[in-house]
Amino acid sequence: MTSADFSILLPEILLAVFAMAALLFGVYTGKDKTAPMLVWATSAVFALLALWIGLAGEGTNAAYGGMFIDDGFARFAKVVILVSAAAVLLMSETYMSRRDLLRFEYPILVALAAIGMMVMVSAGDLIALYMGLELQSLALYVVAALRRDSAKSTEAGLKYFVLGALSSGLLLYGASLTYGFAGTTEFAGIIQAAQGEIPLGLLFGLVFLFAGLAFKVSAAPFHMWTPDVYEGAPTPVTAFFATAPKMAAMGLFARLAHDAFGQITADWTQIVAFLSVASMFLGAVAAIGQRDIKRLMAYSSINHMGFALMGLAAGTAFGVQAMLVYMAIYVTMNVGTFAFILSMERDGKAVTDIRALNMFSKKEPLKALAILVLMFSMAGVPPLVGFFGKFYVLRAAVDGGMAWLAIAGVIASVIGAFYYLRIVFYMYFGEEADGMEAPMQPVAWGLLMASAAAMVFGVINLFGIEGVAAAAAATLVN
Amino acid sequence: MFSDSSLLPIIAILPFLGALVPGVMIRAGRTACASFTAIPTVLALVMLGTLAPGVMDGTVYRAEIVWLPQLGLSASFFLDGLGLLFAGMILGVGLLITLYARYYLSGEDPMGQFYTYLLLFQGAMLGIVLSDNILLLLIFWELTSLSSFLLIGYWKHLPEGRQGARMALTVTGAGGLAMIGGMLILGNVVGSYNLTDILAAGDQIRASDWYAPALILILLGAFTKSAQFPFHFWLPHAMAAPTPVSAYLHSATMVKAGVFLMARMWPALAGTDMWFYIVATVGLVTMVLGAVIALFKDDLKALLAFSTVSHLGLLTMLLGFGTPEAAIAAVFHIINHLTFKAALFMTAGIVDHEAHTRDIKRLGGLARLMPITATIGTVAALSMAGIPLFNGFLSKELMLHEAAHVTWYQNPWIVGALATLGSLFSVAYSLRFIFHVFGGPVRDDYPAKPHDPPFGLWAAPAFLCVFVVLIGVAPFLAQPVVRMAAEAVTGEELSFYFKIWHGVNTALLMSIAAIVGGVILLGLHRYLDRLWIAAPRPEAKTIFDGLIAGVVGWMRGITGWLHHGAISRYLAVFVVATLVVGVAAFLGGEMGQQTRALTPIPPVAPLGWLLLVVATVLVVVHHRSRFRALVLIGVIGLMISLGFVFLSAPDLALTQISVETVTILLLLLALHFLPKETPVESSGGRRFGDAAIAIAAGVAVAGLAYAFMTRDFNSISDFHLANSKSGGGGTNVVNVILVDFRGYDTYGEIIVLGIAGLAIFALMESLLAGPAGRRLRNADYTLDRSKDRHPLMMVVATRVMLPIAMMVGIFIFLRGHNQPGGGFVAGLVFSIALLMQYMASGFAWTTRRQRLEYHALIGFGVVIAGLTGVGSWFAGRPFLTSSFGYFEFPPIEEFELATAMLFDLGVFLCVLGAVMLMLFGLSRLARHAGETVNKEPMEYDPSNAVAAATTRERR
Repeated sequence: MTSADFSILLPEILLAVFAMAALLFGVYTGKDKTAPMLVWATSAVFALLALWIGLAGEGTNAAYGGMFIDDGFARFAKVVILVSAAAVLLMSETYMSRRDLLRFEYPILVALAAIGMMVMVSAGDLIALYMGLELQSLALYVVAALRRDSAKSTEAGLKYFVLGALSSGLLLYGASLTYGFAGTTEFAGIIQAAQGEIPLGLLFGLVFLFAGLAFKVSAAPFHMWTPDVYEGAPTPVTAFFATAPKMAAMGLFARLAHDAFGQITADWTQIVAFLSVASMFLGAVAAIGQRDIKRLMAYSSINHMGFALMGLAAGTAFGVQAMLVYMAIYVTMNVGTFAFILSMERDGKAVTDIRALNMFSKKEPLKALAILVLMFSMAGVPPLVGFFGKFYVLRAAVDGGMAWLAIAGVIASVIGAFYYLRIVFYMYFGEEADGMEAPMQPVAWGLLMASAAAMVFGVINLFGIEGVAAAAAATLVN
Repeated sequence: MFSDSSLLPIIAILPFLGALVPGVMIRAGRTACASFTAIPTVLALVMLGTLAPGVMDGTVYRAEIVWLPQLGLSASFFLDGLGLLFAGMILGVGLLITLYARYYLSGEDPMGQFYTYLLLFQGAMLGIVLSDNILLLLIFWELTSLSSFLLIGYWKHLPEGRQGARMALTVTGAGGLAMIGGMLILGNVVGSYNLTDILAAGDQIRASDWYAPALILILLGAFTKSAQFPFHFWLPHAMAAPTPVSAYLHSATMVKAGVFLMARMWPALAGTDMWFYIVATVGLVTMVLGAVIALFKDDLKALLAFSTVSHLGLLTMLLGFGTPEAAIAAVFHIINHLTFKAALFMTAGIVDHEAHTRDIKRLGGLARLMPITATIGTVAALSMAGIPLFNGFLSKELMLHEAAHVTWYQNPWIVGALATLGSLFSVAYSLRFIFHVFGGPVRDDYPAKPHDPPFGLWAAPAFLCVFVVLIGVAPFLAQPVVRMAAEAVTGEELSFYFKIWHGVNTALLMSIAAIVGGVILLGLHRYLDRLWIAAPRPEAKTIFDGLIAGVVGWMRGITGWLHHGAISRYLAVFVVATLVVGVAAFLGGEMGQQTRALTPIPPVAPLGWLLLVVATVLVVVHHRSRFRALVLIGVIGLMISLGFVFLSAPDLALTQISVETVTILLLLLALHFLPKETPVESSGGRRFGDAAIAIAAGVAVAGLAYAFMTRDFNSISDFHLANSKSGGGGTNVVNVILVDFRGYDTYGEIIVLGIAGLAIFALMESLLAGPAGRRLRNADYTLDRSKDRHPLMMVVATRVMLPIAMMVGIFIFLRGHNQPGGGFVAGLVFSIALLMQYMASGFAWTTRRQRLEYHALIGFGVVIAGLTGVGSWFAGRPFLTSSFGYFEFPPIEEFELATAMLFDLGVFLCVLGAVMLMLFGLSRLARHAGETVNKEPMEYDPSNAVAAATTRERR
């Protein structure tokens, strides 16, 4: 381990050291009593690391002979991952401690998952890819089943684990086929082998790798775990699932697609386009019948992943840029929405039925307005920022010669708009019914409002994310 | 320089800035609030006025602000004749509505909020007509949907208001989203999102392959917005909104946005057969349908709403004709419709306001009670009917003229006839508006006593009526405006002259027929109405609601079926999906030639293979009987071990067989606490389906394996074979890989193994404390217990075996580096030897005889392995580098000692500890379940039995 390698990997190492130190600290001091403190500390570490990576990172650096790559793309993804993880952690604190769920392992597991995600988006090698993926997945399996005394939560964790193990197996199979035919696990080497007419074995490797990754981004038809896990897991965990890991998996997907198979885009754009269409439609169609807002958000995230994949399916640098912009917007919207969902309760009990939102605007006009903005943004209605995200990927698809994909996307977004708008109807024009309260801590309130405000004011220049995303995409695709 | 063009963005932004004010100003009173609302509108009107002369002269003003260039989005505005006409209309009517609403809304209504929404809406509309970038246009387009949603839903307490808002937003919002797709394609075809460029590239667009989808998607947006058939149903239901809103949105502005878009896109999209057949036909159908329904509506606003639908259809049809003359007629009718329809809506609002009802059946005779209102209403309605000397007549005449000269599907008269029919109904409902509301005798049962409203309320409609009459009498006044706008629409120079009298021509005859027929129809209204009510007719709202409910139900069905919670279905989907992508990959690629010949099959191989297959099938068949399945799994493991032997991998075989033994033994112990049978959970049909999926997946994997093995592949084995002795000092490649080449991995693995052992132990601990523990304690084992739990033969045999087994273990351990064996296998052999003791002689008896702490064993293992690794640091080499040397102690032969052996010792200890710890956990479980603990190796002491027998004999 040379010191140069070490310094490139320093953020991950620091986070790992922090996680282990926190674990020891938690075990040997107050156990769950230290949890709130650990939550704040972990969030602070995330935020600091995000700042550091975002501001200090420069150029493209490879560590361990190309196994680990630190470039603009990785940094973009890492900042999104860390910031969203920090936000989700912060807003979950009250919810979890009020329901006696706040174990000190929770922030630590989230930190471990975050390390896994950071390795994922920086992976330059199939082995690093797998290591990052599993570190993340293992932590996620555990947090999904965090509410141990709830049958639903444990069932969710178990389902996720079984299906996740299967997908990992598939991914490994693909990886070993790729290795067998490319003779190396390094992306830089695979791309040398994957040129022109590739052997069928390599194509199989590619397909199975993508199938395994499709599971992680919960793209249809590998999405089956998502609704159950979203519904069963404690809500803060659901919020976490819907944000950072999606960005990480999407980043890994893009990296593998372009760094390892970038010379044979024609071979995989069709696969990704298929995943994209299937996810968009399934997400849109299946969400229509949902009454549970967590399940609804699960389908919504499947739908959004379809759109993000559309950017990737274009197979161009602009496509990757579109995907990054889309993901950043998606994560922001979800943080805000979940900040609200976490606060939904009636008589002190959490509710997730969307009919509880009936006439909510009368009770809390400001919060209702914020949700209105977020829902419209999710539906991709102009002029909110969500529209720009959608437009970006649609445009990428059209420019990439996949106009049919763009049209399918438009149709799916029309279908999808229905259920987002229905939430708004309930809030503004619903029937008089047992209302619900949404008492919010300052943190959650702030996140909700900030996220909604971002959807409105972001239209000015998207907070300059375009340029950063373009630069990030350029480092990946060349 | 501060050019005139730079006023454009200011005009567009003014209403938005102004929207902030009324909300704040409401405390200052209603008049102040209304005044502040009017200020930005007036300012914008003035600015527009300064630009108007230039536009009239044919100048097109442009202003561009860079926004998101990568997306192709810029905030660019342009003003031409069409834009000026619409902008003027939006602002002008906006001003009138502001005035009207000030008097219309009561003091309890939150007026600040209302004006804020109104200005927001006004800004959005202005944005649409001024945009020079289609993306910008889209943004403003959806903003109108959004702000209209707020305006329509303004009166929240009315349930129809809610329904209306919901329907309006669903329909127009979906249409707008569809339009995004159309615009995207358009931009892609032209290579620019600038409207100016797109309008100039009409030929290119029409020739493109993507013309049809682009056209359809854009028209979807326009038709939904302008309430064209079959999307017309939302407009009447949106009428629950306060009347100022209806007057502004649903007659003058928002619903015209669709018409505006069609007019705007006219140079780019119109002129093809497709355009004609879609647009003209839809327009025609809408016109007739709207007019017919309007006649039978008793709600004043519903009547006006359907009349609006009908007139929008008329405009659409005219634009659909695609001729410049039709475009002129359309532009002219836009102006006329605006004047009389807005006036009519406001009149209806006044009637509602004063008489407290809008039901025509409860009204009548109002002419005497509210003469001013009646005059205004009559003038506007006559114009709507198309009576000469009012402006409606002129544009209707133009329309009929155009319609009479259109051939639809080789049919020269159908369009003209239907247009006349539409006009006929239009006359009928217009006259009904006059006679059934204002005409007739005064009644005495109005909900409130009606009288003319204050000036503020009737000023706005009266003002509009002035235009109705003025244009009607002197049409040349409107001529320059119409020419300016029509030229902007068609993009060519036009010359035409409006006249009141064209002489007796087809259009006039059609018009006369319509008026006469309309009067007759009104006379028959009472009978027709009964017929109408009796006749079954589709109610759009019911259909819409039914459709939504149906779709939701259907979707829920699909989702429920797909995600019904059982993981088996999820797995099935996963496997099938993988199969599908695999097959897709297979079909997509080119399979190379087979490069490796098949090896000859020795006789024993098929036998083993057959056994393996049979055992596997039997496991599946018998999986519900758990013990049987376990035995069969043991067979499979054995066959795999044999396979390793067959393929010359004795080391793997050895490992496999010992692992197999240990796991089977542990599983056997664990199964003891579980039910003996797995209940039947799936029906025969499902099992059949699952079997099909499983077989397909199995065949696919086998096929893959076959394909790969008959082709050349690179293998890393050669490297290891060549370097194992020289680099790691051992000839057993597997062992050298484990302890040397990949020592790091092994080090990690033993730690994982240790953790697994500890975790199992810990899990069992917590298991016993919970409900599972309770269940265990109360377990009732129906199985007959053996009287002789620890048979003598077993006890004796295992005890004899123990030293031998240990000997074998040590032997295997020592030879491991060069011959098959090693720490891992040795650990397992030791474990088996000990396990047998436990099984034969009982746990307690055995435990008392060996005092090793299993936790510590694991710990020692890891520490030893770790220290070995660290040791290489002292030799100045990286962690876990192994070294070896050869030693000779006479009389023993020369033998090798490698640091790897120490490392192997760590592995050995770890394996042993982990296995024994698991066993320990299981035995705790057993004791919990009421298993008695034996002190002695056997249930009864054989020597006692012998002694007893002798005693008996002595007796």
